[in-house]
Formats: sequence, structure tokens, C-alpha cells
Amino acid sequence: MADKKYPDRVIPRHSKQTRFTHGVVAIACIWLAISGLFVFVPALANAFPGVSQAMRVSHRIVGAIFILVPVISAITAPQGFKAFCKKYFKKWTPEDFEFMKKFVPYMLGPKKVHMPDQDEVKSGQAVADGFMILCGLLMAVSGVVLWLGTSVWHAGAGAIMVMRLLHDLGFILLIVFGLAHIYLGAGVFQPYRGMARVMWKDGKIPESDALYHWGFWARKEIEEGNVEEEK
Amino acid sequence: MTEYAIYFDSSKCTGCRGCQVACKTWNELPSPIYSDEVEFKGTYQNPPDINENTRRIVTFREKKRDGSRYFIDWAFGQRACQHCTDAECVKVCPSGCLQHDETGFVTFDRDKCIGCQYCRSACPYDVPRHTGIGISGADIKINKCTGCPDRIAHDMEPACVHTCQPGALQFGPRDEMLERAEKRVEWLKQKGFDKARVYGKDEMGGLHCIAALKYDISMYPSYVEHPEGNVLTAVENVAKPLAGVAAVGVAAGLGISYLTGRGYKRDQMYYDEKTHDEVDVDTGEVVRHIDKEAGER
Repeated sequence: MADKKYPDRVIPRHSKQTRFTHGVVAIACIWLAISGLFVFVPALANAFPGVSQAMRVSHRIVGAIFILVPVISAITAPQGFKAFCKKYFKKWTPEDFEFMKKFVPYMLGPKKVHMPDQDEVKSGQAVADGFMILCGLLMAVSGVVLWLGTSVWHAGAGAIMVMRLLHDLGFILLIVFGLAHIYLGAGVFQPYRGMARVMWKDGKIPESDALYHWGFWARKEIEEGNVEEEK
Repeated sequence: MTEYAIYFDSSKCTGCRGCQVACKTWNELPSPIYSDEVEFKGTYQNPPDINENTRRIVTFREKKRDGSRYFIDWAFGQRACQHCTDAECVKVCPSGCLQHDETGFVTFDRDKCIGCQYCRSACPYDVPRHTGIGISGADIKINKCTGCPDRIAHDMEPACVHTCQPGALQFGPRDEMLERAEKRVEWLKQKGFDKARVYGKDEMGGLHCIAALKYDISMYPSYVEHPEGNVLTAVENVAKPLAGVAAVGVAAGLGISYLTGRGYKRDQMYYDEKTHDEVDVDTGEVVRHIDKEAGER
């Protein structure tokens, strides 16, 4: 037993606006995947044509939200957007490379494999989130052409086919990265338990969890006084 | 059931557009009702192309020809669904709205159409059109020639065929229609129309609209020389099962990861920013010291 009682401390990680943007995009993304399935899977559209039509309409409305909310968020908080880009596009440290090397063994054996310290954004996180953002952009551009190109203007058959293929490709990639993102972000994976709080609750992370996941960042934040006692 | 076809003899067509009118009338398709509502764009085709409420038009092409009796070739063609055997629209339709009926014609079930317009992008003849096009996408429904299955079911000819005065449009078993087309082309060639040909015998697996073209095919904008399905349609058909495999694969991998992570426990840590020590909260033991002087972070 420790002689001293250590305070429960938390480090603020995500702002309200970041959490709101993430929340809207995440829910929109899940709804877009579900509603898109009604066109993607013939058996579903065949069995429920009425529902499929409604799903298509909702796909357009939610698609617009999916595109507009992060754009508006970036415009209204340019400094935050700049900081976001800086975190993701940075020079990798040796620990970043080590993290990537150990990632798969760690996922399949977290009790035996120990991961190196990380900065605010883990290298694996940057790769996975980066792919998700790229997929989101791909889906947004192809989706807008598929939407407006068949309603506002008449896009050529070839362009529509290419866009549909890109939309399908983006969907497949999003399945892969999205499922992994939910698995880790929602804390289904045992070592990631409690992680949902940083995006879905108050945006704060307990000190011990922060030290485990982002050691370099956590210590820097604590040293700079960006830490508070748990209420 | 016997496969049927509509036979079009371009050498008999007078360009009266009676077929267009009959199609509109039978299928209750609205037309512009005001004078000069359709802008003249330099073509006798009226409307200039098939559209959301016009399933069939007569196409017009004229070309100077020296040495001919009239110094001009004037070709009348038919632009409507060709009712392909290997119909790309049927292959890509996600809702089962587009189907072949028992006569081989490609029909649609309006109630099943979800307005995705995949059919239009897949059709090598650019035929399917849609009503209710709008930004919301709520009321988009396909419209195209169906071959009048309701009339055929009652031993009647399709409306366009029934009304054709010169007999340029005929209807019957496909084999018979092909035979007529071949005989007519032979006759046209004897008359000096050396580029006359049958269209629809083998194109897209065999069409259910057979045509005897009097002039060179370039005089008929609706007849594509070598129509073929878009290779991207085939690629897309691979993408769908691939998405399923990806989902199952990732879920399986994450399932294994979850099982290996069960029971994982981590000690609660505290970082002392003054001493730069990481301390185990339960035991008070310093488990790690960050040597700042050595450049550790």
C-alpha cells in the first residue's frame, strides 16, 4: 500500500467543438453506411423498395451534414484546424516507427507486447485517422457528383460509373478503418477501456490512461499545468 | 415462352411520328401543351431526344448524296429501349425494378424503382430516363419503353406497332422478325443500298428490337456500332462481395484481438512533475524516472 494518497487527475484533451464535430460526423457516417446499404445490397433494396427510397433521401440529407459540419467547424476555428493538421502531419520519431512495427502483435497480445511512448497523436492513429479522412473526402466528392450529377446537372455515364466505383472503394476502406476505429475508440479493446470519454463525454482523460497511451504528451501537459483534479 | 421482338423497317418509315403519339397516348405520358414550348434546335426530332415523359422518338438524319435521284439521303430511325438480352440495366439495378419479362422485353416495376439511376449510366444506348428528378431525390422513378406488356398479355401489338401506317413497325416472334429483316436487307442491297444491314441480331446478346437499316449506320444516331457493357459494372459487382469479405475479415480479426485482450490489467500511474517520476498509485513505488537532463521526455 502506498503511504501517500495520490489525487485522481485528468487532462483535458478535446474541446467541446471538436467533440461536437466528431459526434456529428460519427453518427452521420454510421447512418450513411446503413442507408447506403439499401442501394449497395440488392437483396435489401429488393425486399424493401419503399424503405430504400426513404433511405436514399436520408442519405442525401445526412450526406450534406457529413460534409458541411466539419467544413464549418474548420472555418469557425481556424487555429484549431491548424493545430489539428500540425498534430497529424509531423515528422515521425523512432518511437512512432516502433509503435507501427509493434501494432499488430500488440493488438493480438497486449499482455506481452509493450508499446513505446507517444506524442498527442500516435503514429498508428495518424495513419488510421488519415485514411479515414481521405476516405471521407473520397466519399464526399464522389457522393456530391453522384447526387448533383443526376439531379442538378447531367453528368456523363462514364463519370457516374467512375464516381460510383470510388464511392464503393471508399465504403470498403471505411468499413475496415471504421470498425477498427470504433473498436479502439469506444474502448471495446481491453487496454483502451474508458477511451470513449475523450470524445463522447467531457473530453478529459484520466492521467494514468494518458500516460499509458500518449506518454510524451501526458507528461508535457502535466509539466505545463494542463491537468486538473477529478471532480 | 417464345421470345418476341419489334421489327423496324427503316425503308418503310415515313417519319410521321405516329408511333411517338401512340406510345404517349397508351402509356398516358404528358406532352408540352403550349405552342413553341419545345425550342427548335435545328433537328426535326421533336422532342430532340427521349426524355422523362417520352419513351420513343423518330430520329431524323439527312445527308447529301451526289448521283442519287433526289441528291439526298433522309434516314428515319427509332430511338427507344432496345430490350437487350444481356441488359446492363437489369444487371446493375439494385432493387430488382428492371427485369426481363417472359417475352424477353425489359420491363420495370415502378413501385420497386428507388431512383438511383444506375440503369442510365450502365445502358450502352443511354435510354433510361427518370421522372421526378430533383435535389431531394424523393420521387425519382424510371421511365422507358416496356414493349407494352399489358397489350401483349391481351394478344395485342405494342401501341407503336399498332399505329404504324406504312407497316414500318411490326411485332412477332423474334426469329420471324429477324428473318423479315434479313430478307428486307437483301432486297435493299439489290436496289443499290449497299450499306443496308440488319441491326439487333447479336448486339448485347441479341436485341428484342430488330432493325433493317437502309443507309449506313451513322445515319441512325440511336444504333451503336459495337455496343458493350461498361467494364466498371463488372468491377463494381466485385466490389460488393469484397465489402462483405472486408467486413467479416476485420470483425474476425478484432474478435481475436478482443479475446487476447480479455483480463488485461494495468497499474494506475501518477506522474510527479517535480521529480519527473512515474509512481504506482497503489504501491507508491517509482516505476520509472524521466531523465530530463539526458533528454528524455
